[in-house]
Formats: sequence, structure tokens, C-alpha cells
Amino acid sequence: MTDRVDVREFIAGFIAESDELVALANASLLEIEAANLAGRSRPRAVRELFRALHTIKGLAGMIGVEPIVELAHALETLVRTADRAGGVLVREAVEASLRGVAAIAERVRAVAGQQAPALVPTELMDAIAAAAAAGEVAVVPARPPSAPGWDAELAPGDRQQLAAGWRAGRRAWKMSFVPSEDHVRRGITIASVRARLGEIGEIVKVLPRVTPGQGAGIAFDLLVTSGASAEVIADAAATTADRLIELDEPTAAGDPLPGSRASSGELDRVEDGAGMLGRPLVRVELARLDDLQDQLSLLIVSKFRLEREIAAHAERGHDVRRLREISELQGRQLRDLRRAVLRARMVRVADVLEPLSLLVRSLARSAQNEVRLELDARDAELDKAVADRLLPALVHLVRNAVDHAIEPSDQRAAKGKPPVGLVKVSCTDLGGNRLEVVVRDDGRGIDRAAVAARAKRSVDSDGDLLDVLTSPGFSTRNVVTRTSGRGLGMDIVRRITTRDLGGELAVSTTPDAGTAFTLSVPLTIAVVDVFSFVCGPQTFVVPVSSIDEIFALLPDQDVLPPSAPGTSSPIRLAERRGQVIPLRSLGTLLAIDAGVNARKAIVIRRNGEPVGFTVDRMLGRHEVVVRPVDDALVRVPGVTGSTDLGDGRPTLVLDLYALGVNAANAPSGQERRA
Amino acid sequence: MKRLLIVDDSKLMRDMVAACLRPLGAVTFEFAGTGLEAIERLALATFDLMVLDLNMPDVGGLEVVEFVRSQDRLRELPILIVTTRGDDESRSKVLGAGASSFLAKPFGPAEILDEVRRLLPPERAIGRAST
Repeated sequence: MTDRVDVREFIAGFIAESDELVALANASLLEIEAANLAGRSRPRAVRELFRALHTIKGLAGMIGVEPIVELAHALETLVRTADRAGGVLVREAVEASLRGVAAIAERVRAVAGQQAPALVPTELMDAIAAAAAAGEVAVVPARPPSAPGWDAELAPGDRQQLAAGWRAGRRAWKMSFVPSEDHVRRGITIASVRARLGEIGEIVKVLPRVTPGQGAGIAFDLLVTSGASAEVIADAAATTADRLIELDEPTAAGDPLPGSRASSGELDRVEDGAGMLGRPLVRVELARLDDLQDQLSLLIVSKFRLEREIAAHAERGHDVRRLREISELQGRQLRDLRRAVLRARMVRVADVLEPLSLLVRSLARSAQNEVRLELDARDAELDKAVADRLLPALVHLVRNAVDHAIEPSDQRAAKGKPPVGLVKVSCTDLGGNRLEVVVRDDGRGIDRAAVAARAKRSVDSDGDLLDVLTSPGFSTRNVVTRTSGRGLGMDIVRRITTRDLGGELAVSTTPDAGTAFTLSVPLTIAVVDVFSFVCGPQTFVVPVSSIDEIFALLPDQDVLPPSAPGTSSPIRLAERRGQVIPLRSLGTLLAIDAGVNARKAIVIRRNGEPVGFTVDRMLGRHEVVVRPVDDALVRVPGVTGSTDLGDGRPTLVLDLYALGVNAANAPSGQERRA
Repeated sequence: MKRLLIVDDSKLMRDMVAACLRPLGAVTFEFAGTGLEAIERLALATFDLMVLDLNMPDVGGLEVVEFVRSQDRLRELPILIVTTRGDDESRSKVLGAGASSFLAKPFGPAEILDEVRRLLPPERAIGRAST
């Protein structure tokens, strides 16, 4: 406790953030690999990769996972070399990095499974070190044209980005954003300006500048390439078009280093800038959409409060017809708004699957077999948050198929199969918020007998087979291939599909004809930061955002007043910093056997007043996927949905605010919303 | 009420730093996820201390320190650097740029708490203006 942060509270956060960073690192690596194939450098992806690794290292250090620190540190060194070379990560370095990142992912999973993460094999560390050494001698690319006036501030990678923008036919603009309190009130901050500019173009550089005696005393200078009009750009930067300064592309004659343009001449048609895989624009956009969704949730909560208030008035005999009409209209509008927000979060499945083709290409290079990937996503769409979680599972399934399922060409020929193996990923929108993804190969099929022997149990049904395949640590591979060390285990595929996404996973296999994994996942999910706690025999979670404070109950701190007439649950009072907080027993409110062991109080604010709920003990903090019990607008007060904390059982997500209101209005706890 | 700005691109790290500093009692935490956001927050509000990560996208911690120290009103702001780069070179670089103190990750709750307590200016007279 003294030499480390108390990790228990943060383990779930560590796993979630590490997963994200691993995904970011992998996406960056795939983007770099794609750029390499096109003969391009991708400095931004290299920087993203570096940052992801560096952050993982820092977090792992805090949590105390040494093997991850070691791996991340070695990879960081490797990538730093590449960054100095202007964003060139040679193929060996990409390969070593992918292996290293996969090894990190494995160890994150070990932490998630409460196991000690394995030490890093010397062979892997050597491979990373060797790749780093190779990177040192990588040719530094010719210096691309620079922007006048920004020379001193632009790193080689920035210059390349600027040049790429010009090549892609965009214009380069310089502008200033001056932050102010007024802007902040209207939601305009440097973060929002960057997000908006990121949507309509690419930000090459942002530099803060001191402006003595003016407003807040600072301004941000931005260098942007964009195809949008000056007015649109100016609006995005909260400035006016006449204040924009356009940077002219240096002419070929005046180019200090003419070779740099000639060398990339043939590649001018290659799509650049917008990026094939990394999608930094979508990432920013998603954060904004998350925010929108949060705001919408708050709106739904206040709508619920309004309804309670109307019902209370009606009970007192007031005429509430008009109010009801407006409230119902508002309800419909909210539902429409919610649909609109969800729609805005949807991305095309075809785009999501795109990295898989790249993956198969790079795998086929290292594997001995030939494989063709067929993607069939039709027009299906799904939530970006689901897509981000789903992709690692699909990557693993496709990798497994290429690596283990597809036989070498000669074996295939002997079986009368086409020499080139086929891996097919097809998606179907099943309706009712479900997407079915099938990863099918025409390989050798899974040997049930071998699996049974390995697992020392019978595998008669497909369900049995899936259980064995997805048990942690299970592997049927008898040849250690170069690529098999990458990626996640099948247990992770199942975890992603069922626990993280609330979907289903199935397998079917036929000897010599192939294997199909079917993932059925929801199109949309909601991810919430929650605290988990125990109350009586059950575990519950509450959103972190709803909580004002959590404190330990001291027996002599509480006052027990006489029960008010007509109430079945006496309200205890606690004093906190001179303020009296009424405490309700959550167990009593939920009509479950609890309350005697209450040692913690969770405090929320209702109309500015604190209200406490006593619970037995707190468990920890998690980021969970909340599955609505019903439509968000027609739900049981106090329960907003259910989630799975990893034990496979549904855990209820409580809305303490609604519970508090419920208790205040109906002390017996019997009332339900009509 | 003291106001602390915690700057880190990792939400988890921000949460952990705040958790370590909970025993300070009456403090308000504000958070920034990038160096640019930190610079903006500092320009628009008054803080008693900043906990700053070094490695961030766009403007890194070192640049934030340099920029902050170039502004007269922020010359005295205590800046505690927390970083995974615990080597002497990084240390002398950021301290040279004007950071008040330097803590290498991983650190324990007691370490950062002590350091922040040491750096926080003593409570001034009641009625001190705050924005």
C-alpha cells in the first residue's frame, strides 16, 4: 500500500485502458504496414504507437506488472528510433512490434484472469532489440517541402504530413484560436476546435503562443490542411475567414530538395491523408458522440423526474392534462433524439472489416500457405464502440484460420481442394439490434478427437467443443508457428463476444471442409463507468457519475431517530462535515435481506440535498457495458439495466436517484411507474 | 478550497493521481487530457498546483512547462511532473525548463501526497479571490 497505489480499485480500469491502448497500437502498426506497402511513411501512426506504448508502460508500472513494463519499454525504444527516422518503421520492426504488442495483450489478459503474467521470453526481447538496431540504419527519407515561417517548429513528420496534404489537393491554412471564458461557456475549447478541424481536414500542428495583455493571455496557432472552404475552416476555429492565412505550396523550382517530390511522384494517386485505418477523425468524433449520449442520458433522467412530479400533482387532484400532453410529446421527441444519436454512432461494417484484408496479406507473407480473404458486409452498420471491441475478436479468428486451419497448398491439392485457401467473413443484420458475423474457412476443420484428448473430456456437441476451445490457456497447436504467438486466445474471443458485447458465440466444424465461428452481437451498446458494491446477498453497480461521495459508516456517528409514522424503514442520519445526511437502507428499499452489515454509505445529491444509501461494502470500479432491461424510457424506476461483471451472472445497474425519489414518494417501496 | 489541475492523456492515470491525493481533503480536481487543454485551462482559471504527465499527444509535458513559465502570472505555479521517463536526463531537462518537482512512475500514494503537500502554497487569508 505504501509502495504502490492500491491497485484493486484500478485493476478493471487498467485492463480496459490497456485493451484500448493495445488496440490503438495494433491499428497503428497495421496502418504503418499498409503505408510501407505503398512506399509511404506514416509519422502520425508512429507517434500514436509510441504514445500507446509509453502509456501502457506507465500504467503497468503503477499497477506493478513488470513483464508489461519490460515489453513496452523495449518496444518504445524501437519505435523512438523509427520516429527519429521520420516515421519509418521497417518491416522487421513492424513484425517485432506486433509480436511484442500481442505479448503485452496476453499479459493484460493474465492480469484480468488474476494470474501472474508470464515473464517475457528472451527470444522475443532479442527480436525486438535486433529490430531496433536494424531501424538505426534505416534510410531517413528525403526532407519534404516545408511551410514558410513554421520551419523551426515543424518536425520531419509534420513536414511530410503537410506535403501529403498538398499532394492530395488540399490547401494549407494557418489560423489562431483565442480561448476565452465566453467560448468555454459556449462549449468552444481548444479540444472542440481541434475536433471540428479534424473533421474537415487534418491538423498538422498546434502551437500555443503568449499574447500579453490580451484576453486570457494566450492563443493557439493552428496549421491545417483541408479541402473545405475558408469560411467553414474559420468557423471551426471560432475565427473569421479574413484572419486565415493560406500557405502556398513551394513550387518545384523553388523546392530546396527537389528529389523529395520526384521520389513520390508515382504514388500521388495513392489515397493519403484521410488515412486507411487509423481513423483519428472518428476517434475524436466518437468522444463527442459519447458526450452527446451522456447528455442525453441526463435528459432522460430529468424527463423521468418531471413525470414523477406530474404524477404527484395529479394525486393531489390538480389538473395536469396539458402537462401530460407536453410530457408525452417530449417523451416521443426524446426517443427520436435517442435514435438519432445512436444512428450517428454507426459505422459501416465494411469499413470496420477493412483491416482484415491487410492482416491476411501480411500473414500470408509469413505463413507457408496461400490464403484469400473474402469480405461480405453488405450495407450493415454498427456502433463504433461495438466495432472497436469486435475487431480484435475477428482479427484473432482470421489469424487462427490462416495460421492453423488452411492447409499448405500441396496438402490441399491432395484433398482435391483449390490450392488457395479461403477465409470468408460475412455479416448480416438480423434486425432487432443484432448483427451476425460468420468467420468461415475451408481448411482442415477442428479435430474433435485431438481436442478431446488434449482437454481430457468428451466433446460430443458443438457446445462442448466451444467450451473447450474457449477455456483459458487451451491450445491445439502442435506446431509453433511464427504468427501464432500473436493476438488473443480463444477465451478472449468468447469474452469479447459474450461478456463485453452481450452477444453469443457458436462454432461448427466439418473435417476437411472447414470451420465456421458465428458471432451474434448487438449493434449498439452503452459503456458506463461504475462502482460495484455488495448489498445483502447481491452485487449491484451504480454509475460513478451519479455519486457525490462514498464514506465508511462509524457506529457512533449515526443517529437513529424514531420511525416516522407510516414508514416501514426508519431513516438513519449521519453527520458529514457539519451536514446531516439522511441514510436509507438500500436493502430495505430493494426489499432484499440486508442492512445489518451496512458499513458504507453512497451519497447522491437530490435537488442539491445529499441523500445516502447504506450498503454492505464496496467492491471496485469498472467500465461496463450496460444492457437495457427495456427501452430506456419505459423501465422500472431504480434499475437502468443489467451488466456482467465477468462472473457470467447479470448484475443490476441501479439509478439511486430514481430509487431515492421512489422511496420519498412511496415509503413502502411498492409504487411503480405506470 | 485548493484547485489542482491533473494533466495526463490516460484517464486511469488521472483517476489514480486523484485517488492518491484524496487525503488532501478540501481540494477540487480538474482534469485535462492533452497539453493544449492544460494550457487553455491554466489561461482561463487559477490553479494552486498542476500535476503533469510528460508524454502526451501533440504538446508534451516539457512544452507545457516551457510555455507556462513564459507567462508572468504562471511563473509561481507549482508543477509536479509525473513520468515514466525517470532518467536523469529527462529530470534535468524538465526541472531546467521550470518544473517544480519530478516524480518517476511508478510512485506510491504516500510519495505523491508528500510531494504535493510540500509544493502546495500555504493557505492564504480567507476571502482570497479565486476565479
